[in-house]
Amino acid sequence: MKLGNLIIAGVVTGSIYATFAVCVAVWYRVSNILNLAVGDFAMVGALCVDSLYRVRGLPLWAAIITTLLIVSVFAWLYDIIVLRLAVDGRGRAEGIVLTFFFTFALSFFIDGVAKMAFGSDVHAAPALWNGASIAVADLHVARAGILVLACALLIGGLFWVYIRFTLGGKALEASGENALGARIVGIDTRRYRRWIFVGTAVIAAVFGIVESPITGYTYLSGATISLTGFLAAAYGGFRKPGRALLAGLFIGVLEALLGGYVSAEYGTTVMYAILAALVLAWPRGLGFESAVSG
Amino acid sequence: MNRVAGLRGMGLGPTALVLVAGAAIVLIWGQEYAGSVFVLSACYAIVTAGMAVQIGFSQQIAFSQSVFMGAGAYGVALLNGNLGMSVLEATPLVMIGAGIAAFALGVVVTRASGLALAVATLMLPLIAVGYVTSASYLGGAVGQPLTGTLWPGDSQASVAVGGGLVVVAFLAIAVFVASRVLRSDIGLELFVLGVDERTAAAMGVRTPRRKLELFVLGCVFASLGGAAYAGTQQFVPETIVDPTAELALLIMLFIGGRRSIIGAVVGALVIQYLQGASSWVSVNILVVEGVVLTVVLLVDAEGLAGIATAAVAWLRGRLGGSGAGGPSTRSHSGSRGPLTRSIRGWRAIDRQATRGSGAIDAELSVPEGPATRGEAAVPRGSDASDPALDQRDGASAPLSPARGQALLEVRGIGKEYGGLTVLDDVSISLPSHGLFGLCGPNGAGKSTLLNVIGGSVRAERGQVLLNGTDIGRRPPHERFDLGISRTFQAVHLVKGRTVLDNVAVSCLASHHASIITRITRSRLADARAKAATALRDLGLADIQDREVSSLTLEAQRMVELARAMAPEPRLLLLDEPASGLSEEQRQRLAVTLSQLAARTCVLLVEHDLDLVAQVSERIFVLSQGRLVFDGDPEGFRASPVVTSLLVGL
Repeated sequence: MKLGNLIIAGVVTGSIYATFAVCVAVWYRVSNILNLAVGDFAMVGALCVDSLYRVRGLPLWAAIITTLLIVSVFAWLYDIIVLRLAVDGRGRAEGIVLTFFFTFALSFFIDGVAKMAFGSDVHAAPALWNGASIAVADLHVARAGILVLACALLIGGLFWVYIRFTLGGKALEASGENALGARIVGIDTRRYRRWIFVGTAVIAAVFGIVESPITGYTYLSGATISLTGFLAAAYGGFRKPGRALLAGLFIGVLEALLGGYVSAEYGTTVMYAILAALVLAWPRGLGFESAVSG
Repeated sequence: MNRVAGLRGMGLGPTALVLVAGAAIVLIWGQEYAGSVFVLSACYAIVTAGMAVQIGFSQQIAFSQSVFMGAGAYGVALLNGNLGMSVLEATPLVMIGAGIAAFALGVVVTRASGLALAVATLMLPLIAVGYVTSASYLGGAVGQPLTGTLWPGDSQASVAVGGGLVVVAFLAIAVFVASRVLRSDIGLELFVLGVDERTAAAMGVRTPRRKLELFVLGCVFASLGGAAYAGTQQFVPETIVDPTAELALLIMLFIGGRRSIIGAVVGALVIQYLQGASSWVSVNILVVEGVVLTVVLLVDAEGLAGIATAAVAWLRGRLGGSGAGGPSTRSHSGSRGPLTRSIRGWRAIDRQATRGSGAIDAELSVPEGPATRGEAAVPRGSDASDPALDQRDGASAPLSPARGQALLEVRGIGKEYGGLTVLDDVSISLPSHGLFGLCGPNGAGKSTLLNVIGGSVRAERGQVLLNGTDIGRRPPHERFDLGISRTFQAVHLVKGRTVLDNVAVSCLASHHASIITRITRSRLADARAKAATALRDLGLADIQDREVSSLTLEAQRMVELARAMAPEPRLLLLDEPASGLSEEQRQRLAVTLSQLAARTCVLLVEHDLDLVAQVSERIFVLSQGRLVFDGDPEGFRASPVVTSLLVGL
């Protein structure tokens, strides 16, 4: 049952990549900015809860709520100060590359602050659902893994319903299709950009809290998660949340299988090589070219 | 001449600056801490100088630098440790090796463009760090020490100072090569490549080749930086190939100014000095880098170099009282346009242009140049049988076809997009002179036909013959060389450059040259001279130093026309040049088009039927991919097919 366990582990990590990829893709649709800092919000979520609960002795629920508040206020402030100046201001930053570097700087900043506040050791938020992993036949599922999957399904489903069936979702889609056109028909694309940014930051933080008992985080963990989520979003053409989700799951399972069957040491290296080969062999099919020009 | 590029001069200024200032710093502080930080940052600056060319100018975002910096460093360490070679001997060998490896990798990787290139190369540091940490012969996660030094001195002092001077020399070479390339005609090619690959290809730029060259150049620079790093630090840590190292290099580039060589060098210095500035900063370097990068980008997207340029322009304006006064206060003064002086100047013009100021408009007078010579008044006096005209053209284009043979023959072209037939058995034939209209309702296949002739779209069936030779399989840049020139439906000018440079893009003689040959001599001046002539011909000489985005739409379209005409094409393809223009502007365009038709063959796609009927000697009408009308303007006006299709009756 090695294969089954590997696939389960892969689906759990894959669902995290997938959720982050969806966050990147949805915000890119609204803002045309690629967010490299999503994973850092997850790291902040985990380490901040740990610090408030374990070090400061707050009750767990208070620690979680405070953490989510801090994350959302910070994301909101970042949007109204930096993004407003950078994207809406006089010297509008144009082009995907330049705006990308703003979130890149944000990622550095968050990591640095986290190092100051939480130190550089491995920590994790306390497990929300205690107990040994659940065994069905020979298959083992960590309880935190089930929570992660449930969160991923819930968030994915909510996004889907929101985009598919609500007026807000249509407006969001319109903003991504043609920002200027959307603004002309009365959609406040800036407001959508802000709320989606804050929303994805909070979602990321929730995932950090739920997932950290499995792997444990340091102040640098965010960058790695971001990067993989970002790659998954890239394979989804950056604009298609559904494909980003599939790509995230695929990467997670691939990583687990390569780690289990090929080599624990070189597994990730081989995975990145496979991913690079895929991009090169099939750039148009994966939507890279449309993502750039569109 | 413009704050982004500053392409005037020989490129020796930055090199001399780096050489003199660097040598002075090493000689004075070489044995102290400040000097050692300088040498370390100079190693990184060698890498960022290459990145400014590759990423800043050409917008080829490849995350390969840290990997090749690591390859350079580990290569030198291995040659030094295992074969006992001195670091100075090993450096050129490592650079050659890196160049070969980069070429092999680049052939595969640079097939991708834009984001695909970025994502594919993003894997390189991820793969490399995984490999290096587990490779025992490279020292694994511990790192690889060196026994030799970059400069084999016998005392601590001579090692430090000698090594520092060698690094400064390396950096000066890198800066020299980078700035020479950017100031050459290939530099202009790279700039266009960075803005729009399709336009670049239509102007004859060999885009795949340039991308490969840029990749190799960036990698070789990176390996030199890595070799210098290994030689001076005498230790290669595995973090050198880390993705974080790549990000740090990018931060250096963007803080310094992605489109400035000196900026890239300064960026490397700033980041390295910041790390050593105080213990608080070095512990919290991530916060500092994040804040500095955000603030610098918020102030100016071109980084510190952009801020410095704007500051200098502002100071000049203050001192001279005329720096950024805007167009109304200054007339054109030779080669230095007032607009390009400063960002503030630019924005002032931008605002003025969007308000549709008449001042700019008025500068576009009806063309009166040497080319008109009185023929301007004759709208259709461009018959190929006119001996005087033929003779003139024969002088300028010796390859013109024998009389009677068609210049362009399109035979039975068929094209489908996913089952939808866009062109169906279309055949047209054009002589060597004259103006020919191509009309049709939206979606009739006009632009596709133009693209098939221009080469950006390949037809499934049929032939495209130019002077009897089938060119149907040739890429766009080769067709450009054969004399096919075009404009696009939307304006495709390179923002941030002058009108003159935009036109010079199509006059470059560098398409077959390699980047390396341009280090010693540039032919940009020739291209600019040719461009100036073309602009004079169209009566645009007085706007040649303006930055293109400050122009009205009419002027921008005229500049595109000048760009298409400047290489003296045999066949000129114009895609809706009149769209967005007023009636008065259209009349001016009609006069210009008639003049062009006397010199070359023009195929004009246009929705304005009156304009087409007025200037064309023959008109083709496409409908649903089929040729439904082919005749002269009288027949065109009278044809019931045309009336029902296009006039909408």
